[in-house]
Amino acid sequence: MSQIMPSARQRKTRTLLFWAVPAVLLLLPLTTNPYTQFIANGMLVSVLVTLGFTLTIGNLGQLAFANTAFFGIGAYSSAILAAKLGVPWLLTIPLAGAFGALGGFLASAAALRGIRTYYLAIITLAFGELMRWAYLHAKPLTGGTDGMPMPRETLLGISLTDDTLKFYIFLAVTVLLVKATLNLMRSHFGRAVMAVRENEIATASLAIPTARVILVTFMWSGFVVGCAGALFARHVGHVFPESFGMLHLIASFAMVLVGGLGSVLGAVLGAVLLTALPEYLRAFPGMEELFFGLIVAGVLVAMPMGLASLLRRVSPIFVERFYREAP
Amino acid sequence: MSTLLTVEGLSVRFSGLTALDDVSFTLEDGNVRAVIGPNGAGKSTLFNAISGYVTPTAGTVHLRGQELTRLTPHEIAEQGIRRTFQNGGLFPALTVLENVLTGLHAQTHGSFLDILLGRSKALKSEADNIHRARELLKLMSMDHMADTRAGDLSGGQQRIVEIVRTVASDPPVLLLDEPAVGLSPVARAQMMEIIHRLAGEKGVGILLIEHAVELVMAAADRILVMAAGARIAEGTPEEIREDRAVLEAYLGHS
Repeated sequence: MSQIMPSARQRKTRTLLFWAVPAVLLLLPLTTNPYTQFIANGMLVSVLVTLGFTLTIGNLGQLAFANTAFFGIGAYSSAILAAKLGVPWLLTIPLAGAFGALGGFLASAAALRGIRTYYLAIITLAFGELMRWAYLHAKPLTGGTDGMPMPRETLLGISLTDDTLKFYIFLAVTVLLVKATLNLMRSHFGRAVMAVRENEIATASLAIPTARVILVTFMWSGFVVGCAGALFARHVGHVFPESFGMLHLIASFAMVLVGGLGSVLGAVLGAVLLTALPEYLRAFPGMEELFFGLIVAGVLVAMPMGLASLLRRVSPIFVERFYREAP
Repeated sequence: MSTLLTVEGLSVRFSGLTALDDVSFTLEDGNVRAVIGPNGAGKSTLFNAISGYVTPTAGTVHLRGQELTRLTPHEIAEQGIRRTFQNGGLFPALTVLENVLTGLHAQTHGSFLDILLGRSKALKSEADNIHRARELLKLMSMDHMADTRAGDLSGGQQRIVEIVRTVASDPPVLLLDEPAVGLSPVARAQMMEIIHRLAGEKGVGILLIEHAVELVMAAADRILVMAAGARIAEGTPEEIREDRAVLEAYLGHS
């Protein structure tokens, strides 16, 4: 069956829509209370975490679960750079991204040695647990179980504990990284990533350096999630080892699946929905986990391709492909 | 006519088993050379050794005098030897257009940063490739299928798209691994036509593994016959038809 692709006009609408969403969000702090603002900030962090995850597990198709490790590496890099070396937090964001990319490099080393599927899953899970062990035991650097507080800092005369200020910074970083990732996926590189998932042997026969594609995808994923870690450190103001355990991994995996595996739009939708959901479920004390589980299972049974597939059916504007037609 | 591919003394041994035994031949531009032989004759190993998927234990492969032996598959493909796969090498989740575009991967420009920032350099080369991919699909009357998922195509259409993808970068040498297997008579005739056009009009040197005898006899300029990893005969289709060793390999001693 031929897919219905967005027309030239619909592609213009899509571009407009892409920029309209953050533009409207600029007004959000005017209308919300501090609590909702805090939740919205958390959503932006989750969007980036989910985006990085879906790239390796959805687009590249590698059963790699090192995502939370990248997240922790990013958060601790930011906290250590800011607290121990006095680096301004804003500057720690790209640096945390670089350390996250280094984590991605390490995770890809296993994949590049030909370790795949369940074996890659268990190795990358072990990597995540090893990092958690390191946060706990490298006490002079990480503060161990007590964690690390983020240093007081001001920006333009406003304290970085201010959630409105944080929101604008988080929004800028998120929009930038989502846009860059979309550019990446709609290029020949994005196609190569999908090709590796579909048939690695045939991919190499097309003069595509598969090892480099795997390496770079892991590193970009690590960069995005590492940046998210730096945002998270500021978001909660105090970095603890427990934030980077299995629970976080499973929650972000659920976001990837609910949104739609290998979809940028899905990463955004899954992260927003599953971050907001627990807040609404607070109305049912004692039943929160039950409802949360039921809703996740319900979405996946009804839409195995995730929420993004629902939108694709509504309009071809939401069809994500791996090339970019001239405007 | 010039020699494109020179294979000399190519051998592959897997712990005691000789899968390919001292095979030599040349391939000229615009020529179709068929490789035939019973199952297990080493035809696929020959393809894998030339395209870098199996490391030869002895022998050399040269393309226009340049040695390619022991390069990786993607390096060999970049040098100009492209291949198809026996059991189909398409990417089912990608559309037909995207599949053809993957064949133009090495023809794209722009650094990683250019791509991330969506700079015009990266966009321009992408637009050129999309244009070329659509032209190629039109040539094969497949342009109306451009937005179809490759996995939803019929077997025959998949074979054709795979060939379009493989020749998109204008490689001098093409290795086709059983391109007609499982095809209807109509699709088979179309495949013949494509092979003729690639060799005749574009001067591509084609190495062809095929079991369909009538296709081999009609398409090949020369035939290499293999059995048990070694070459047992070589010649024009007429010579091969008369060759005793070939008859024995296929039919046993009479």
